[in-house]
Amino acid sequence: MPISKALLTILEQKRRAAYAAGGEEKLAERRKKGLLTARDRLAALFEENTFMESGLHAQHDCHNFGMEGKSMPGDGVITGVGYVDGRPVAAFSQDFTVGGGALGRIHAKKMCDIMDYAQKAGIPLIGINDSGGARIQEGDDSLSGYGQVFFRNVELSGLVPQISIIAGPCAGGAAYSPALTDFLIMTRKNANMFICGPEVIKAATGQTATMEEIGSASANASVSGNVHFIAEDDTQALQIARKLLSFLPPNNVVDPPHRPTPAVDMSPDPAINELIPSDPKAPFDVHDVIARLVDGSDFLEVHRDFARNIVVGFGRVQGIVAGFVANNPAQKAGTLDIDSSDKAARFIRFCNVFNIPIVTLVDVPGFLPGVAQERGGIIRHGAKMLFAYAASTVPKLTFILRKAYGGAYLAMCSRDMGADAVYAWPTAEIAVMGAEGAVKILFKREISSASDPKAKEKELAAEYREKFASPYEAASKGMITDVIEPAQTRAILSMVLRNTLSKRETRPPKKHGNIPL
Amino acid sequence: MKRLKVTVDGKAYDVSVEVIDEISGAALSAPPASLPLTSVPAVAPAPIVASIAAIAPKPQASGSGDVISPLAGKLVSVEVKVGQEVQEGAQVATVEAMKMNTYIYAPKAGKIASVQVNPGDAVDEGSVILRIA
Repeated sequence: MPISKALLTILEQKRRAAYAAGGEEKLAERRKKGLLTARDRLAALFEENTFMESGLHAQHDCHNFGMEGKSMPGDGVITGVGYVDGRPVAAFSQDFTVGGGALGRIHAKKMCDIMDYAQKAGIPLIGINDSGGARIQEGDDSLSGYGQVFFRNVELSGLVPQISIIAGPCAGGAAYSPALTDFLIMTRKNANMFICGPEVIKAATGQTATMEEIGSASANASVSGNVHFIAEDDTQALQIARKLLSFLPPNNVVDPPHRPTPAVDMSPDPAINELIPSDPKAPFDVHDVIARLVDGSDFLEVHRDFARNIVVGFGRVQGIVAGFVANNPAQKAGTLDIDSSDKAARFIRFCNVFNIPIVTLVDVPGFLPGVAQERGGIIRHGAKMLFAYAASTVPKLTFILRKAYGGAYLAMCSRDMGADAVYAWPTAEIAVMGAEGAVKILFKREISSASDPKAKEKELAAEYREKFASPYEAASKGMITDVIEPAQTRAILSMVLRNTLSKRETRPPKKHGNIPL
Repeated sequence: MKRLKVTVDGKAYDVSVEVIDEISGAALSAPPASLPLTSVPAVAPAPIVASIAAIAPKPQASGSGDVISPLAGKLVSVEVKVGQEVQEGAQVATVEAMKMNTYIYAPKAGKIASVQVNPGDAVDEGSVILRIA
């Protein structure tokens, strides 16, 4: 006997009702506004016909506050697994058309279930956040639901990559789930993210703040540094997510998807010789250097708008995936400060946990002096960089382009911080401090007793600069691997990256180190 | 030849890119050619001189004509005069700190309304160097 037609019809009806979410009018309204629906977003993320949904027929079971009998298709969230670039990825997509995408017990359960699956399967998790927050009607259940999601974000942290897309409201406690993930992508329109909004702030403190100032994509990306990528719209957000995934392994026990070229092209790149200005005071933009090192100049910059004095991001070098950390002399003289230390340390630790080699480009005159930096805790923030590099066991390759002074030199993955190879350009200045400062201390007596102290100081500074503001002093002591011509950099980087891929380091067992926070 | 739509700082550009070197490797399904790249566009093979003036950092505040110093230091020079018209991203001043010159750019196009500091003056992080109307 074939299956009853009636049963199939019922299934089809239930499916259609669930797909209609908050109703066809609401879905059409969103599309007219230029917003994708929750399902559209998953369709834009995944390869066609690969999305296996779980929990389509889930329903809430709340009886309070008029919820009884109220239909919430999928309980406001769509969860499942689809394929990105031929690899399975787990995802959830909150549906703003269903009760404002608010989170209730079943909504949270669906999210937790897909996160548990991602953990078991060892596949990345993408969360598309677009929600009014906790479903007040479900009270404690909503709160507990968030707690269960946060707990799992932390369980998954370091096991599988977690990427959050903020495509709509993400306020209060809801913001903490994305905050616990590895990367946040926020759309410029429709999205906002904050703990206390302007009204709450006004009521509690009397301060006036606009949403633009505290909750916008721009504020979160360039001021507070909560967000790593800004997307113009939903479609671009998903493209960024896919691009990001293309550099990452599915989980922590697998290497990133290196696509080594069949042969290493060792030919020099003379164009890179042009990039360092002959005037040591003149800045250059380190993006130009990175563009010459990565394949096709295809560099996915992370956290671009925050702490612009350091540049971090992913690229391939003759096919090998690498994470780049580079001072940018064009911003704040390339100094290290509180924000850039935080930015770099987080990125380094992400690369370490997912087996991504780290390439460090150094042109740093020191840590940024200032009362705000000192009182703001540059000590404990700067220490994060030292901790992150020293604790990393992935291949670490450092290239000193120009200045490398003092503690900042150490913080930029020096040999002593465990770099596997340190190369210096002839323009490198590796010293405990700049010539002017050094001679003031070393030759205090000679300068003060000279007939023309200013001229004497200048003469000594020039001597010091010649002797120490170069890579050869450090090279003679075996502190750096080699002095190389800039034109050779890409070839050498390509080769050394491959040589170190088999690096394995064991450290004394402990629960975890105590990184200054 | 690939035609791409590249969005940089909110502005979309129609870019034609000649792919010189195709990276061969594991057969991963290539992304559809119609997807705009979100990364730095391919660099031309000609020798590259760092064109500092072309790089405009993110404007400090949308619409604000105040040009502020991103770091504490000494004002080396002001590259413009009161009354001069400038484009967004044009270099307007130079500040020296940590023995390095940092170039300051106009956050928006307009006319230089006033210059608040003189060469040789100390500037703080966040202090106004000049104002654009």
